Amino acid sequence: MKLLRSGFFARLWIVCLLAGSGSAWADEGPIRVGILHSLSGTMAISETTLRDVMLMLIEEQNRNGGLLGRQLEAVVVDPASDWPLFAERARELLTVDNVDVVFGCWTSVSRKAVLPVFRELNGILFYPVQYEGEESERNVFYTGAAPNQQAIPAVDYLREVEGVERWVLAGTDYVYPRTTNRILEAYLKQQGVADEDIMINYTPFGHSDWQSIVSRIRAFGSRGKRTAVVSTINGDANVPFYRELANQGVRAEDIPVIAFSVGEEELAGIDTGPLVGHLAAWNYFQSLETEANQQFLERWHAFTGDSRRTANDPMEAHYIGFNMWVSAVEQAGTTDVDTVIDTLIGVQVPNLSGGMAEMLPNHHITKPVLIGEIQSDGQFFIVDQSEDLIPGEAWSSYLPGSRNIIADWRPPISCGNYNTETETCGGAQ
Amino acid sequence: MITARLLSGRMTVWDVAFLLLLLALAMLVPLLNLVPEAGSGFHLSAYMVSVLGKYLCYALLALAIDLVWGYCGILSLGHGAFFALGGYAMGMHLMRNIDGRGVYGHPVLPDFMVFLNWEELPWYWSGFDMFGYALLMVVLAPGALAFLLGWFAFRSRVTGVYLSIVTQAMTFALMLAFFQNDLGFGGSDGLTDFRDLFGVSLSSDGMRSALFAASAIVLALAYLCCRLIVSSKLGRVLVGVRDAEARLRFLGYRAERFKLAIWTFSAMLAGLAGALYVPQVGIINPGEFAPAKSIEAVIWVAVGGRGYLVGGPIGAVVVNAFKTFFTGNFAEYWLFFLGGLFLFVTLFLPQGIFGWLRQRLVGSREERS
Amino acid sequence: MVARSDPRRPPRILEASHLFLLLLSLLGGTAMAAAPEEGFDAERLQQLGERNLRVVEQAVADIAASGAPESLEVLLALRDGRLYRRQHDDVIVVANRVDGVMLYSDPLLGTLGEPLADDEVTVIRVSNRIRRALSAAIASLSLGSDDAAVRFAAARQFIDSPDRDLLEAIEEALAVEEVARVRQALEVARAATIASDPGQPDDARMEAVERLAEAGTSRARRVLLSMFAEENSALDLRRDEAVAVIDRNLARWQRAQDLWYGLSLGSVLLLAALGLAITFGVMGVINMAHGEMIMIGAYTTFVVQGVLRGISPALAEVSLLIALPVAFLVAGAIGVLIERTVIRRLYSRPLETLLATWGISLILQQTVRTLFGASNQRVETPSWLSGSFELGQLMITYNRLAILIFALVVLAAVILLLTRTSLGLHIRAVTQNRKMAESMGIRSDRVDMLTFGLGSGIAGIAGVALSQIANVSPNLGQNYIIDSFMVIVFGGVGNLFGTLVGAMTLGVTTQLVEPALGAVAAKVLILVFIIIFIQFRPRGLFPQRGRAAE
Repeated sequence: MKLLRSGFFARLWIVCLLAGSGSAWADEGPIRVGILHSLSGTMAISETTLRDVMLMLIEEQNRNGGLLGRQLEAVVVDPASDWPLFAERARELLTVDNVDVVFGCWTSVSRKAVLPVFRELNGILFYPVQYEGEESERNVFYTGAAPNQQAIPAVDYLREVEGVERWVLAGTDYVYPRTTNRILEAYLKQQGVADEDIMINYTPFGHSDWQSIVSRIRAFGSRGKRTAVVSTINGDANVPFYRELANQGVRAEDIPVIAFSVGEEELAGIDTGPLVGHLAAWNYFQSLETEANQQFLERWHAFTGDSRRTANDPMEAHYIGFNMWVSAVEQAGTTDVDTVIDTLIGVQVPNLSGGMAEMLPNHHITKPVLIGEIQSDGQFFIVDQSEDLIPGEAWSSYLPGSRNIIADWRPPISCGNYNTETETCGGAQ
Repeated sequence: MITARLLSGRMTVWDVAFLLLLLALAMLVPLLNLVPEAGSGFHLSAYMVSVLGKYLCYALLALAIDLVWGYCGILSLGHGAFFALGGYAMGMHLMRNIDGRGVYGHPVLPDFMVFLNWEELPWYWSGFDMFGYALLMVVLAPGALAFLLGWFAFRSRVTGVYLSIVTQAMTFALMLAFFQNDLGFGGSDGLTDFRDLFGVSLSSDGMRSALFAASAIVLALAYLCCRLIVSSKLGRVLVGVRDAEARLRFLGYRAERFKLAIWTFSAMLAGLAGALYVPQVGIINPGEFAPAKSIEAVIWVAVGGRGYLVGGPIGAVVVNAFKTFFTGNFAEYWLFFLGGLFLFVTLFLPQGIFGWLRQRLVGSREERS
Repeated sequence: MVARSDPRRPPRILEASHLFLLLLSLLGGTAMAAAPEEGFDAERLQQLGERNLRVVEQAVADIAASGAPESLEVLLALRDGRLYRRQHDDVIVVANRVDGVMLYSDPLLGTLGEPLADDEVTVIRVSNRIRRALSAAIASLSLGSDDAAVRFAAARQFIDSPDRDLLEAIEEALAVEEVARVRQALEVARAATIASDPGQPDDARMEAVERLAEAGTSRARRVLLSMFAEENSALDLRRDEAVAVIDRNLARWQRAQDLWYGLSLGSVLLLAALGLAITFGVMGVINMAHGEMIMIGAYTTFVVQGVLRGISPALAEVSLLIALPVAFLVAGAIGVLIERTVIRRLYSRPLETLLATWGISLILQQTVRTLFGASNQRVETPSWLSGSFELGQLMITYNRLAILIFALVVLAAVILLLTRTSLGLHIRAVTQNRKMAESMGIRSDRVDMLTFGLGSGIAGIAGVALSQIANVSPNLGQNYIIDSFMVIVFGGVGNLFGTLVGAMTLGVTTQLVEPALGAVAAKVLILVFIIIFIQFRPRGLFPQRGRAAE
């Protein structure tokens, strides 16, 4: 056991000891909030901001007297954009650091990787990013948009306002675009769009040569019907994609591109001049002129000390999620995981667009849908906002496999995949 | 020194120490995890068990790389691919074990297939419900790929950097392919949400300890095999291949046959490492094919010291322990440290940690052959 | 500023556009105020700043219809984002950039009492709908422009959205048009307008269809497809025939277009690989930090642009030209530093240069991440590199063309340097036989240093070019390193001509395969192809012969 004498293992050994005896003194100490976002590797671009917003929210909560008379303590770990490491770090947070709640993950694969850990160790995870749905777990609260809160309203906007009749569904080849496009395809066909008027295209992660795809999109768009591109292209591939669009002269007036994964943060790295008018659908834009948002931005800029720092949709999701958790803990009078999970359902907190977000029994929340057009300053001009808040659907009614499935974590159902036909818990069969 | 050791044909004190250490770990770690009460000073947390288990899998991968790099001079930049293939084979078995407990409750199809609207299981998924078959594929799939690649490459005498580039192209191509959802391996999400193995839950303490012990024992056995190979006549031919392939050919040895055998065996070991890795970390996805991961594994061997067998495992554990420590505490500095470590080792410790240690302990007169 | 409408000729045009816009506004459901023939009033102008987009749309229509000489200027300002609202009293002002300073003026009065500062005004934003209304309105107002390019754009606009009420205006413009290019566009526009108007006599429409078929462009095809024709009528059949003719024509062009895309991708690969062709190909250093040299070149461009913007905005157009030598020096200097401190100790252990340079690449990446942050940086494209031109039905974007030419120029320069200068002679001497070269008095360690610096510097200037098409982020280099190695190994290590052929072959093959199989499969196929190829030609397409090869 020579290894155990080296410094690092000795330290871990001590941490394990402390963790073992943790429960004895946890009640007197601070309430611990775990933050599980990549600070290095490819996802650091997106996730670092979410860590910062969490630190701001925790600091503010502490300044206002903490929670249940105790201070909050942030426990930040770095899963380094490595999916197995996400699971390992989640276990570390829940067993070694004994956190009461975790805010984290960005990609679907990272969420899938930590799911078994949260289930096994009974923790709480708040997941802040729009995703493909088809999931509802007792231990996870989804504060990002489900497909029905982003994709379908976006397509409706294009049909009604822009009069689009022909559709290019372009995405990066992974689960979120695949699912979103399948839902959209089913939805469009239901609306009477012919097969030949839908073109689906998948590209690999980080695809950089868009010449031929953009030229095919142009050709597809020259059939005399108004054409739009619904883009679920992810991250790094967007810059060359938009550049190619601009260079081949595809203007937003001719073939608008509506994106679900391009926000203020992504636009910061692009010369947006030629992109003016292309769209994005989100549940929050930094350019919202509500009182709540202006205040939030002021605090954010003061906290980061950078008045040009952008804000984006997943940040608002964390803002809502954190306030929901705080509110539920206050109501329950304890941070006990089971009690908080039950109390969270039905909790309402203000969002930044002027409404009240509510945690639904399926662990998703209500959200407004906003459509914005890219402006030359990298911000969005909000051209449409849904009148009501839309409740998130865990299971899409447009997919054959999940048509009969609902999620309801209240008794008597208490199930994330309840089949309404067979009235059993456990999926479609 | 190596020549002397090989001629003597028996194990050195280092080998014995290493094997004993592994056996001790295989017994002690489960014991410390299962017996003492949680909270007592001697209890080893489940977290630590899975972290240590992961290190052992990496150690096995490093051993496989050292076998081909240290003894045949083949610098493989694609061993991550063999590791991942083994991992996928095991992952497929674990997926089949879910048995209708997925979110859609389909009796046969894994969730991601239901999700993509597939009607039935693709042919290459059949059989994986049997553990024996899965285990066979764990070694056969990477073995077959390595054999195919090696058979062509060694015959046409693709060597040195060309071979390295070819292996890198292979793992890169596999990564892109596995990212595709249409291939039927779960796309970018890979395989995850495993439930149990042999009917025992993967999240039970017993299973975790058993997997750890299995990793330690497999590593020990693999080490033993490797030691026997390199100290046999075959091993001497291999060193000949490494140091002067052309000369060996003139002497009438079919160098490519020896290389091919070892290369294939090494790929199988990497596959085994992947298979042990997957149930312990709970996920396998195309990210494991990333060329950077393979390069990192080569670095472990360089850090530990190549050409000793024991160096690879040492390097794997040391580098990964540092990684756990740095990414947990100073995330921003991890790449500086890792990069600096590569530079330091290649420039100042050309024989790696083990080579340096041994030189210090045994005396400077002994040189690596 | 675009020239105002020609005072000699506008009435009829404006009348026509007025009718068209009246129709548009009636469709919009809002009754229009009394026809404001005498110009638009401050109230209309005020409405442009409204939040309700339908009101804005209406105001655009009214202003275009007013026929006032200021209309075009106001609408262009709105389209280009130069129309502002003064914050304290909501007065609408037009901004013009004069010598880099924004000057605000009242569009109706022409002047403004006191000058405005940039933070006293808010820009008026427009949506796609309004932008479309603007395009139509501006096109109708600019047929009489003095600038041929503006008239050409207007004609194009009419082809894209034919409107029968504009027919007369088009015909009048056609009568006086002298520039051939514009004439032709106007003729197609006329044909498009007639063909899409079911009210026209059939023989006129038939003739228009012929004219469109003759034009053979995808624009004409779109008009044909969207025009109304009774099913199986003679017109309908003729239309289908015309579309088929155009399709055949376009398919031929498409093949040429794919070839162009392939050459363009090949030139990117060539540019990315050139530096490596020297450090790896000529020197034999397995330089995994090559990608980071490209990244450093791209970041240098970013920094140079920032500095130049601080000096004078006018320099933005030449920023890339200034960045080229700077990037060469920066990346070259870092290369020399690396060679002096690390590489020179490893010449006897080539495979280990791989490990050491990989370590260097990690350090460089993290350094850049620490200095600039993890996110993408915005590198601006000068206007002479934006956009595209058409060569027949080929669309060629300026930035890709520039990269192709640039890659070939750099390649030629490197070849000249290696074959026609004394440094080149020394480099070749040292690579072929170091001992012999040394005994001839060549300082081989100095040559090594310069060669590695040269390779790194070339990677740096590649970074300047690639900053125009790729993400400028710390990961930039990682995206090119594998491809670069493939190109070199495929072409043959140590052979620059092989690098050229290798890059172009891989580029063209990828682009020809991609439409059929998809981007992912194309890439996988290329990699598999390379793996198999190397089995048969282990030394690449153009292997180096002789002693140096071993």
